[in-house]
Amino acid sequence: MLTYARHRAIVLQGALIAAVSVGAYVLVTGTAANLSARGIPLGFGFLFAPANFSISETLLPFKPQDPNWWAIVVGIANTLFVSAVVISASSILGLLVGIGRLSGNPLVAGATRVWVEIARNTPVLILLIFVYALWWKILPTASEAANPLPGVYLSMRGLALPLVDIAWPPALVMTLITCAAAVWAARGLAVRRQEASGHRPAYVTVAVAASIATLAATAVLSGVSATVEWPRLGRTNVIGGLQLTPELTTILVGLTIYTTGFIAEIVRGGILAIGKGQWEAARSLGLTQGRILRLVVVPQTLRVVLPPLTSQYVNVVKNSTLAIAVGYQDFMTIVGTIINKTSHAVEGIAIILGIFLILNLLLSGALNWVNRRMAIVER
Amino acid sequence: MKIKSFRGFGISAIVVLTIAMPVGASAQSILDKIKQRGYVSCGASQGVPGLSRPDERGAWTGFDVETCRAVAVAVFADKEKARFVPLNAAQRLPALQTGEIDVLSRTTTWTFSRDLAVRFVATNLFDSDAAMVRKAFKAETFNDLNTATVCLQGGGSLLEKALDEAVEVFKIKVNRVYFDSTVQARDAYFSGRCDAYMTDGLAAVGQRSNARDPDQHQIISSGLTLEGLGVAIPRGDDRWFDIVRYAVNVLIWAEEKGITSKNVDEIARTTGSAEVKKVLGLEPGWSRNLGLDDKWAYNIIKQIGNYAEVWDRNLGKDSPLKAERGRNRLFKDGGLHFPIPMN
Repeated sequence: MLTYARHRAIVLQGALIAAVSVGAYVLVTGTAANLSARGIPLGFGFLFAPANFSISETLLPFKPQDPNWWAIVVGIANTLFVSAVVISASSILGLLVGIGRLSGNPLVAGATRVWVEIARNTPVLILLIFVYALWWKILPTASEAANPLPGVYLSMRGLALPLVDIAWPPALVMTLITCAAAVWAARGLAVRRQEASGHRPAYVTVAVAASIATLAATAVLSGVSATVEWPRLGRTNVIGGLQLTPELTTILVGLTIYTTGFIAEIVRGGILAIGKGQWEAARSLGLTQGRILRLVVVPQTLRVVLPPLTSQYVNVVKNSTLAIAVGYQDFMTIVGTIINKTSHAVEGIAIILGIFLILNLLLSGALNWVNRRMAIVER
Repeated sequence: MKIKSFRGFGISAIVVLTIAMPVGASAQSILDKIKQRGYVSCGASQGVPGLSRPDERGAWTGFDVETCRAVAVAVFADKEKARFVPLNAAQRLPALQTGEIDVLSRTTTWTFSRDLAVRFVATNLFDSDAAMVRKAFKAETFNDLNTATVCLQGGGSLLEKALDEAVEVFKIKVNRVYFDSTVQARDAYFSGRCDAYMTDGLAAVGQRSNARDPDQHQIISSGLTLEGLGVAIPRGDDRWFDIVRYAVNVLIWAEEKGITSKNVDEIARTTGSAEVKKVLGLEPGWSRNLGLDDKWAYNIIKQIGNYAEVWDRNLGKDSPLKAERGRNRLFKDGGLHFPIPMN
């Protein structure tokens, strides 16, 4: 029976599954017995107990009486926010720096090169602590806060801006959705027309212009009201307004500087991977430089760039756990606090691993999906 | 995709393995484990002058450190047979639970929920929460901290709760900045990031000595709480509980009996008290049930001293901190400490 490759494979796989199951069973029961012997209870009931701690900065509302699971959600929101901002900012900067590296201008090429080398050769934790310490050295104390514009204060305590609170009337929201749909439809029509006639009508431009006019008119008619909260100088602190703290700024700026270095190199590699012939062929068709980049080079570059980019994005999510080093409370810090307060270390670590696994699988899944779509477009 | 899910499995397998690792170790008693290993593993802070901090030569010093060294002396008759693991607030209890350390004496407030997770054995210090502020900030009570920015260690320390309580009681509003370690929080305060740095009262005295200009800072107390900072061990080992409880008790007991590291030999020769004779090791077999050598208490007093000596050396008059002993005096002197009789 074992002579048939197929049978042999089945037997081997069966044995492997059995071994893994037995191993898992032994580990799980051993762990549970071991933990209960040490008086460490297992279970997820603690998630519903009140958190009883404060979080310094949150996107979602949080108070100490809220349950632990909500604290975890608040932490995930903080982590997602940091990751999203860093991924967007470093993608744009990475594209610019990557193109800058290929520039003929020695000043641009040199400056971008310095950026890439610093970012790639510094441990990210050191970079973050350096950026954080920098605020203390260069920014004035709170009582001497710089006030460059009315309502704008910059100090060691952060950047305070006037907070504009706009009340959105339902009519305006409806119009906004309708306009977005109209622009999308105009684009579809333009594409169909182009495929039929080879000529692309300026439908989109018309639709956008019309939308802006409609939106402005609706805004005036429905009476949009905005209230502004101005920050003011208190005893030692700037009070009120929209406050951007040094901690959040540090993690955003530090991680962006770091990630940009890697993305720039990926972009550079991607552009260099497109043969010179592509440029020459496109030029012979009479396309302008900008159109060659947009229609010929970038789509092909994107295909080369996407797989390595995916792992950089996943790295951003993981690196965001360094936020606590500069005093910003991310998901991992908050779960750490919950572990300390409830002594549910095993469950807490399992939650950390599980959430990061889910986040990163979703992220790489989405990018892989984009990647596949790109790959099919190529014929 | 296949490779990825396999990797995922690998990760979880490693995690499960790590958690399940101590399976074999749990059968052994902590004392046996320590004797086999040759040293006591103690939890320490990440650097608080007077309480636990490595000096210039890397040797750990401080009140909490010496408390743990007393345990090492009881087991090995050698105060150098203790090693210290620096831990932040979030790490300290798991470190005990997993058996990474044997004794935790690191400004850990004795509370109900913590006592259900680990086992508190004795109180080595009484303390209350305090905030360090600049004198120029002009704050006398926590009430004056309204609208202030406060730097403190996060991660579930009792300070966070104390600050939340003060906010509620005094009806004030503060901006909090949490850090991973109390040292980072202190540096952020010194740099000007915060108006106040919150920590335990004794730790605040210690940290103030680190300032470039200690005279510019003052310490204010919330006046809301008095907490016992406890010595804790893992749960489920009565023998180890006995050893640690009485190693700490001997420090206080010796002070009450007037026994110091300098006069211990003389007192052993001249004393008429049967209790003192016994504890100093002159009654053979008195600590057989502890599993220790009869000289263990004598060795602690000889090598470490009594509570007053440890206090003076690390926090009191012979230290740079010159902290007020206050509630940490013996009961007979108006404080809260009293020894369990060693009869």
